[in-house]
Amino acid sequence: MSKRSKINTEIKIGSLLLGTYFLWALSWFFYSYIYEGSFSSPYFPASDIKKELFSPLQDGYLLGTDLYGRSLFQVLSAGLFYSLGIGLTISFLSAGIGIVIGYLSVVGPRSVKAASELVTNLIFIFPSILIAILVMSLTGQSFSGLVFALVVTGWPGYARISRGETLRVMGLTYVESAKAIGVGPFRLFAKIVLPAILPFLLVHIVLGISGVIISEASLGFLGLGGSEYSWGALLSSAKTVLLEAPYMGVVLSLVMAGLIIGLNLVGDGLRDYLDPKS
Amino acid sequence: MEKLIKKFLYSLFTIVLAVSALFFIIRLAPGDPVEKILGAEASAVEISDLRAQLGLDQSLIAQYSNFMINILKGEFGESLFKKKSVSSLLSAHMPATVILAFTSITLSAFIGTFLGIWAGFKKKKTFDNAGRIISLFALSFPIFSLAPLLVLIFSIKLNILPVSEWGSLKHVILPTLTLVIPLSAVLMRVSRNKYLEEVNVPWVQVLEAKGLSSIQILLRVTKVCLPTILNVVAIQLSVVLAGTMITETIFDIPGMGMLLFEGIQNRDYPVVQGVIIYSTVIYMLVYFIVDYLNEIIDPRIKS
Repeated sequence: MSKRSKINTEIKIGSLLLGTYFLWALSWFFYSYIYEGSFSSPYFPASDIKKELFSPLQDGYLLGTDLYGRSLFQVLSAGLFYSLGIGLTISFLSAGIGIVIGYLSVVGPRSVKAASELVTNLIFIFPSILIAILVMSLTGQSFSGLVFALVVTGWPGYARISRGETLRVMGLTYVESAKAIGVGPFRLFAKIVLPAILPFLLVHIVLGISGVIISEASLGFLGLGGSEYSWGALLSSAKTVLLEAPYMGVVLSLVMAGLIIGLNLVGDGLRDYLDPKS
Repeated sequence: MEKLIKKFLYSLFTIVLAVSALFFIIRLAPGDPVEKILGAEASAVEISDLRAQLGLDQSLIAQYSNFMINILKGEFGESLFKKKSVSSLLSAHMPATVILAFTSITLSAFIGTFLGIWAGFKKKKTFDNAGRIISLFALSFPIFSLAPLLVLIFSIKLNILPVSEWGSLKHVILPTLTLVIPLSAVLMRVSRNKYLEEVNVPWVQVLEAKGLSSIQILLRVTKVCLPTILNVVAIQLSVVLAGTMITETIFDIPGMGMLLFEGIQNRDYPVVQGVIIYSTVIYMLVYFIVDYLNEIIDPRIKS
């Protein structure tokens, strides 16, 4: 085992930021699903048209209120919980599919290789937002539709990386000796190839979560999100009141940027940490 | 030459496949253009009349073969909503997107490469550290949050640039800035990392031993980094040329992204097909050119 480099500052700051966001999301989960509401009928920010567009700290609202008189802090929290849920679900699903297909495109028969390359190319050619919009119109504008749409556009990236990494690992002597003593393809994948390629893929998964959060918010911004609490949808409504309530857009952007910075810092830090050259 | 033809044929095959897949998917997706044109009140007779008039009553296979024959003749059909041909719509929307794409890509290519290489050259010094922090921030404000912030600063607070619409040079500045910030941040990171990867190879040590100045070495290493950087520029260019839906929506720019978005919303099949044919061809073309350029810059790639 080679000497590991020390945990770098990027990972430290990034995990601190991410930890804060996770704690925030978790508190919101308890508040809306257990304290105020229940699993069958979770609590959602109440709207009160008389309290429209309060500025921060006015009338006891920490961040003020939005266009519908809902507490901006609560709306943001619901959006955070939603974004993190979407980001994690979609990244792990696409990574799972991508890793398996990437592996199969190396060890599988020729037809599998050709087919996976063709499908990957096809998905790369189309603007991913177009695919997402088309899939959403097929499945309907819902949470599951959104997950499906973003997984369809998300897995080819992982497949490409997984293919490259599998190719690299397959040439290593210990993998060749495993094959030589007759380890089957499934066991080879689960016990030998996967542990070798997973650390590198983990970097892409972490960075991918922020990518998914941005894609989802982009769709939300265009009015195609899976929830009214999507940060994109909130930003799109904040944009319409940029003159009257500029703080709304600023607060939303900053909160979103904080989460993305946290994810990117951890991803970059992990890459440096795992890089044998540094 | 043979390799070139092979590549060309494969690209053509991919384009045909992509366009065909799209043809069927948009028609099988829920939503009916005829109902959108006539509204909810239309009678069944009116609907079937218009459907026949637009040729949408034929079987999918018949529609597909018509479509393919027309494409070979160079006819993209007519928009179902606007009484205009798809090619006239495409040429009306192309200038805005092309102007936006070329200004922002040219600017970000120069800014990103220069800053990235310089940051790599000054590794772990103040410039590099500041650059890393700035690019991290630049990438953390997605276009739809960056654009409103820029509007807030430059149009509302400082009141020096117009908010939206399209026409004069002043209208190009904010959307260009919106695109340049993330694009150059990506390029900066790519070129920095590539520079650091290339700088530790033996031939650079030979140059050092021969007594070349560090700037001369910097230029030679930069040349080796260019193919990688150009590949990223190519991806960015093909994405931006395909239409920057969000930027165009925010700044109200009549570009390809807007055309595509409206087309999908209205189920305007011919328009969506036209835009996608355009963007897949652009994608392939940009890659062809970049591959060719890369072989000229670094002949090692050929083998």
